[in-house]
Amino acid sequence: MKRQILTSAVGIITALLVGLIIMAVQGYPAFDSYYQLFNYSLFSKFSFFSTLAKTAPLILTGLSAAVAFGSNAVNLGQVGQFLIGGISVTAAGLYIDLPPVVMIPLLIFIALLSGALYSGIAAWLRLKFNMDEFITTLMLNFVAQYFTMYLISGPLLDKELFSPMTRPINKSGWLPDLGGLDSTIIISIILLIIIYFIWHHTKAGYEWKVMGSNEMFAKAGGANIDKNYLKIMLISGALAGMAGAMLVMGGVQHRFLKGIGANYGWDGVMIAVVADSSIIGTAFYSFFFAMIQTGAMGMELETSVPSEFVLILQSITVLFVVASRKSAHLLLNRINILLRMKNIKSGGGIKEDEFID
Amino acid sequence: MNLLIELIRSTFLAAVPILLASLGGTYTYYADIFNIAMEGMMLIGAFTAVLGSFFSGSWVIGILSGIAGGLFTALIFTVFAVYLKTDEFVTGIALNLFALGGTTYFLRQIFSVKGAFTSSKIIPLPDWNIPIIENIPVLGELLSGYPFLVYITFLIAVLVEIHIFKTKFGLRLRATGEDDAAVDSVGIKSDIIKSKAILLSGFYCGLAGVFLSLGYVNLFAENMSNGRGWISLAVIILTRGRPLGLLFMALLFGFFDGLGLALQNTFIPSQFTQMVPYLATLAALFFYSREKKKSKGESKNESMAV
Repeated sequence: MKRQILTSAVGIITALLVGLIIMAVQGYPAFDSYYQLFNYSLFSKFSFFSTLAKTAPLILTGLSAAVAFGSNAVNLGQVGQFLIGGISVTAAGLYIDLPPVVMIPLLIFIALLSGALYSGIAAWLRLKFNMDEFITTLMLNFVAQYFTMYLISGPLLDKELFSPMTRPINKSGWLPDLGGLDSTIIISIILLIIIYFIWHHTKAGYEWKVMGSNEMFAKAGGANIDKNYLKIMLISGALAGMAGAMLVMGGVQHRFLKGIGANYGWDGVMIAVVADSSIIGTAFYSFFFAMIQTGAMGMELETSVPSEFVLILQSITVLFVVASRKSAHLLLNRINILLRMKNIKSGGGIKEDEFID
Repeated sequence: MNLLIELIRSTFLAAVPILLASLGGTYTYYADIFNIAMEGMMLIGAFTAVLGSFFSGSWVIGILSGIAGGLFTALIFTVFAVYLKTDEFVTGIALNLFALGGTTYFLRQIFSVKGAFTSSKIIPLPDWNIPIIENIPVLGELLSGYPFLVYITFLIAVLVEIHIFKTKFGLRLRATGEDDAAVDSVGIKSDIIKSKAILLSGFYCGLAGVFLSLGYVNLFAENMSNGRGWISLAVIILTRGRPLGLLFMALLFGFFDGLGLALQNTFIPSQFTQMVPYLATLAALFFYSREKKKSKGESKNESMAV
């Protein structure tokens, strides 16, 4: 755990330094830009709440990827599951109108279910026909993208507007606003706790983790790989579907509009990767990504660095954190070996307690 | 008749980027490197190609800078995946997003536009008219007048086949993929072979990008590779990396891409016709998996190493 925090810190700092250089080379005031990045994401109630609102869907797409990668299921379909979750909730929210007490749980259920069904297609293709999920989920992303595009520019189009989008969903499906705080973050944290509990304190969670680190061992230990794989894929899809629903039920728009997914799906993949599929790490990096994304607008306003800069910053953060994790591991191993060699040469032999790693 | 000719022409045009990228990916396939960065290499290549062509006013510089873009991306991949031992999957994912973010950022930074950049100063690849054939009625329309890279690409497919299966480098490449420790043990550095394989894939993916932004269309749009890198990866899996098989599969996908375009003028909503290449990829994988199961009954968990 300590080592993880250390390597993450090294990686993040290196990435921020590289970002600093990229900005400075182009003649931007680099330090001031970073200050604004934090200023507009943390230092006032409004900006901090905006960061939290952005964190909410990222936690879910991040968890979606983390649960999958951590148990050796390569679900890269967060983008598609996100969109399907969002559009299903929108369609339900447009045509169903019940009291909020019933409506909100119903919509949440629909979001989880539709996301799970969409990832279920890929899981089924893998189990039944042995088609690799990393390709099928990627292709299904494009199918979902065009399909939702069709729905919002055809059957579900708000005809009074010129850009493809639906009408707002019925008010009863709107998540409450808690004094400026988007309540989506509460749903995300609840789901985070549930997933944490399953992952660390149940037999199923244990089996999934073992599948992630050594599938043969899991099989030998009596875990039903196919059944577990299906469960993981369904949970993973459900989480991504819920993330999509949040953008419709929470926030201010309450409608499904073109480009609603933005980068949430792929950001989730990056978050899981950089967190090494750890649940707590996913929460941390979701917040970190949300922070720099929220601050980006302020940075653009103050120092005119295009906000797209954070997309670069995110990907180099991933590269450097993962590389420093790997290098730290290799380095420690090498030091260990050197120490042992030294010991053998000096005639001391190998002592039991020197096998640290 | 005209529609058929149009369909065949768009088949060739749409096949070229997929063919070029998958030829590049073949090198990493045989070196047993999981290269999902092809999408990003292609996108960066497409961007730098437009950059070069726009500022120099020459398509030659456009091609060279497109290739340089692909190579640059491949170099990052090499440094992280081969030398810093970062997971190939992770490196690939991060690079694809770096490509998406980086091109979007610099599109805005350099050309001050969002979405797409088009200008008459972007010099496209020249078209080649084949003498004699161009004057034959139908055949001329079918075979003549493509951007010249189309003709070169089909030649490259043959050259890559020879390079991988008939040369010393090809043998070492395939040996590295089989067992890199064994290659190291006879005094050949497998890391260097792997780096070369990644750089070659960057070269061809960059070229695929050049064709996208200077041949297929004449502009740069955000995320214009639009999954072609991943389709190329699927194509490699389906053909097990045989360049001549790639040629066939790329044409097949080109056909579906073209079919999607041709159907756009019918009653079918355009969003469904745009889905066609991706659905075709799924269908192809489906038939491939079913055939494999039937013919061998291989172990269920055999992964498709790329």
